Amino acid sequence: MDNIYQPEQVRVLDIKQLSPTVKLFRLKKSVNFIPAQFVLVGVWGYGEAPFGCASSPYEKSHVDIVVRNTGGVVTTALHNLKKGDEVTFRGPFGNGFPLDFFEGRDLVMATGGCGIPPIAALIEYVIENRDKFGNVYLLYGAKNPEEILMKDKIKEWEEKISIILTIDQPHPKWKGHVGFVTDIVSEIDIDPKQAVATMCGPGPMVDALEKILKPLGISDRRIFVSMERKMQCGVGRCQHCTTGDKYVCTDGPVFNIDEVDKNWD
Amino acid sequence: MLIIKKENLDNLKDELAKESKLVDLQQRDVLPFKKYFFLVEEEIFSFNKEDNKLSSKGGSAFDGKDQKEPEPFILFGLPLRATEALVQLDEIMKTPVPDFYYFQRRKASTVISIIEEDGPVPHLGVDLILEKINDKEYKVHILTEKGKNISKSKLFVKSDKKEIAGSAKKNKTMSELRKLLLDPELLKDAVEWSWKGFPEIWDDLGKRCIGCGICTYVCPLCHCFSIEDGCSLNGKTCSKTRKWSACTLPEFATVTGGHDFHPSIKERYYNWFYHKFVRAYKEYGKAQCVACGNCQRQCPARINIEEELLKIIEKYQEK
Repeated sequence: MDNIYQPEQVRVLDIKQLSPTVKLFRLKKSVNFIPAQFVLVGVWGYGEAPFGCASSPYEKSHVDIVVRNTGGVVTTALHNLKKGDEVTFRGPFGNGFPLDFFEGRDLVMATGGCGIPPIAALIEYVIENRDKFGNVYLLYGAKNPEEILMKDKIKEWEEKISIILTIDQPHPKWKGHVGFVTDIVSEIDIDPKQAVATMCGPGPMVDALEKILKPLGISDRRIFVSMERKMQCGVGRCQHCTTGDKYVCTDGPVFNIDEVDKNWD
Repeated sequence: MLIIKKENLDNLKDELAKESKLVDLQQRDVLPFKKYFFLVEEEIFSFNKEDNKLSSKGGSAFDGKDQKEPEPFILFGLPLRATEALVQLDEIMKTPVPDFYYFQRRKASTVISIIEEDGPVPHLGVDLILEKINDKEYKVHILTEKGKNISKSKLFVKSDKKEIAGSAKKNKTMSELRKLLLDPELLKDAVEWSWKGFPEIWDDLGKRCIGCGICTYVCPLCHCFSIEDGCSLNGKTCSKTRKWSACTLPEFATVTGGHDFHPSIKERYYNWFYHKFVRAYKEYGKAQCVACGNCQRQCPARINIEEELLKIIEKYQEK
């Protein structure tokens, strides 16, 4: 019988500081994953936590995860690691985005702050298969310009897809949008009858949904949300990650918004 | 049919105890039988930082070398409702992928049920069932090879006596809830509806429940757990320990950064009911409850769980 709780040791190939509190860890591990699937990464003696794969699903030499140091036990331990150290690794888990449903359609991806990793993997997939998608938009909001993660990648992506960046509060160095404002809608050219939208991260997404996705006319059935919960076992047993009658670790993390928006919790 | 005389039950126990470790469930224990398969606390991995070696005391092994299978043991005297719970727990632990530690112990176990309560006799899950047919005798049901071997003992004898109907006792524990469990869909609908439809009851229960988690520990079906890391004092060996958890405890649904999806006792206590009667119904088509009464018996806040459920059902049917 396979022991699904058994982690393997994986080496950290590289660490990049993405913002004052966020680091990217490049792990020496070939992972076959669908964008938005997650892995459980940790440090012995501290525990493990769920992270979305942030690298291209076509990348076979490594996998990237993005970790915000929240001051928690696991994220702090990860931030204290050096290049060459080892982490514990299990996964991937969860369903991932329904890529074949997305193909042939316009795509609007809305995310905020640290919700970029699964979207980054999705963008890499889209770019690799660019001719299979219509107009593609990334709406990415952060607290301030410093908190916009993966800036190098964003520059690369801009050549292939449309990117709209916003920050929460006005900032002297910022000339772009502030907040998910309704005038963004006019910049988005999609066919609402067939377009799909994805959302990640809590808070700002509600705004994005109310102010942008709904006015664009995309139906709930075509809005997909990647949920955050405390995934521990990864196989739908330990009960920590439930929302209503769903398990985020096995039924999700990606849901049609109408599958979860009426959940009591 | 094969029977065993009541006066021989102790002899059977002695005979079996000579062959293997025997746990007598007729001795009352606050914690339910699940603790023999799903340990209260179990170190599942240890990792030596000096030689980078992962090993397991729980029985699994990285390289197969330290593999320690659990020793065979016999659970003797599982009553009807606990037997039903075991059948359900096996299903839960099997879905969607088998739980390594649970099934390792299940495999090592031989389970003998003694059913004295009125109700349909389960036909799977355990190895041998002794069903009370009159004041002096128990009918033997053999369910597995292991059970068959035990039944070879001379203490079991052939009998052609008729069964005496009604010799099994009615069990009065949570008898109303026991009836309700026959309609799990109604329980599901009512509990699901009650969060918004009958908020007063959850406000009230949220104030009365002290969030101690005891109801979940004594429940034969609750199976929440956490995996916690630890470290030896010299920092050389780290470990992962799987422990019983309880969805009614604080921080059960807290994510890093501090957001808690079930911030108060009210949400957590509702989640306990929601899991048993709603989520479980959607997953398995039945409630995760056998009306054993343990939760109610042990609740330090003296919440009469059966009564509260009946109130919810009544209100739901009034609407």
